[in-house]
Amino acid sequence: MTGLPPPEIATLPAPAPGPEPRGMISVNEVSKFFGSVVAVSDVSFAITAGVTALLGPNGAGKSTLFRMMCGLTPPSRGAVQVLGADPRTDRAVRGRLSLVPQQDALFDHLDALQMVTVSARGHGVNDPTAAAVTALAHVELGDVGSKPVGQFSKGMRQRVKVACALVNDPEVLILDEPLTGLDPVQRRNMIALFHRLGDEGRCVLVSSHVLDEVARLGSRLLVIAQGRLIASGDYHDLRGLMDDRPLRIRIGTSDPRRLASALVDQDLITALSLDATHVVVDTNDADAIGRRLAPLARDLNIRLTEVHPLDDDLESVFRYLVEGR
Amino acid sequence: MSDTANVEQRRTAGRSVPPTRALALTYRVVLRQLASRGRIIALTALALVSTVAGFALGQTDADLEAGVRLVSGLGFAVIIPVVSLVFGGAAIGDLREDKTLVYLWLRPMDRWPLVVGAFLAALTLTTPITLIPVVAAAVLAGSGGGLVAATVIAGLVAVIAYCAVFTLLGVALRRFIVWGLAYVLIWEGFIALGGAGVARFAIRKYTRSIIVDRTGVDLDLADFSQMTGIIVPLLAGVVALALASWRLARQDID
Repeated sequence: MTGLPPPEIATLPAPAPGPEPRGMISVNEVSKFFGSVVAVSDVSFAITAGVTALLGPNGAGKSTLFRMMCGLTPPSRGAVQVLGADPRTDRAVRGRLSLVPQQDALFDHLDALQMVTVSARGHGVNDPTAAAVTALAHVELGDVGSKPVGQFSKGMRQRVKVACALVNDPEVLILDEPLTGLDPVQRRNMIALFHRLGDEGRCVLVSSHVLDEVARLGSRLLVIAQGRLIASGDYHDLRGLMDDRPLRIRIGTSDPRRLASALVDQDLITALSLDATHVVVDTNDADAIGRRLAPLARDLNIRLTEVHPLDDDLESVFRYLVEGR
Repeated sequence: MSDTANVEQRRTAGRSVPPTRALALTYRVVLRQLASRGRIIALTALALVSTVAGFALGQTDADLEAGVRLVSGLGFAVIIPVVSLVFGGAAIGDLREDKTLVYLWLRPMDRWPLVVGAFLAALTLTTPITLIPVVAAAVLAGSGGGLVAATVIAGLVAVIAYCAVFTLLGVALRRFIVWGLAYVLIWEGFIALGGAGVARFAIRKYTRSIIVDRTGVDLDLADFSQMTGIIVPLLAGVVALALASWRLARQDID
């Protein structure tokens, strides 16, 4: 949520032209206000089957958008449709979608099987226990025993939440920061699971504020910041935009002054600052720096101790997309 | 997820859950959430105060009026409303506070079974924890069978009405305990004593009327017939549950 003025929109190149997709999720000119605070502002998109990532910094409006998609809160303006129905009012469509909420909330006194079985019963699944066993196996919690979920680690709780969401075999799966708390192996397995589900024709929408996670989640991307959709399209297009933007890089070296001079001579940088052991440079061509830095150091017979991009994080990407700097 | 079991699950996708199943599921979940050991021990200890007081009164030569005033002033003014507030308010209020309500709300089911299931769970815990000690107090006070029967009838009416009203409070308000205590202690305990008009909006006036009607002891602000004393609080409970269902369907869920 934010009370900041609306940003300039910097969209990625549009996807390849084709017929207007009929989205499994359709968000049409949706805004959400909490009093005077604008949480989501005039957002429109449609999502079809497969994995789509929703990327945005904390407080960007991702969770509010997800809550509207699940009918947990109504839009202040605009309309949200899931599988052609309003999830706020259509009872049946709630049986065809699932949400993994961001908050770390479970019925802590239940064990994993009981927790997922409650979810299955809530969806009217015919054999709730069998469905729960299957769902737990998908998240590799099949042999977790009867320990209450209140005693689980954060990663295990995340996986229980995902199992709860899988138990009704949903056509639309909305996951709010589902990789939080997972170790690298679990993240990889979970991402593979999302892709399997997407390949089966489900609409899988995953939010994250971590760029590296999004890189592995899929090629379709929605970027939201300050409550507005600032970019949409292919992940690789965003990556290219990032690579083309001005970057600040810290270079550790045994002779900062000579290295800086050489970088200026070769017209690789637009600004620099020095200290005893580092050069910090601004460049419009990070790729060229990457290619030519090591040969340059070798030719100058100086040692490189570090090459570290200072603004290769999500916040700086958003800043660039939103403010053009 | 492509095995036979999941094909069967797909067939059920999008199907609504019948109200009876939704109610039973909510009842079981909420009952387990509410029935924490600490809560039950603390509230039982509170309720047993009335039993101890009844026993102490029974050791004296107290008359029927003293027994009626004990049951009415302690059991019906404090114990039943407070215990009902804790369980009734928490029935949905706790789920909302700890953000687990989404696991019941975001399901293909009506809202009223959620509310009624939660209410019944609160009632299941409140009834034995309050009525057994308060009825025991009436027995131990030695004031006669009229008081015991009146306590049973008025007690049942009170727990149903209070649990329903406080379930609504738990749905509608975040600080349901504060507002509930304000209702019990300030409205019923102070403002409602100021006149018959405002007392009409106090559950306690009706339960007192039942006791007065059955025992013949004269208490202030207890001038309804037994039938009115039974019907009005129960109707208020039904209205409260209907309002809670309506509210739950329209409010934001975290």
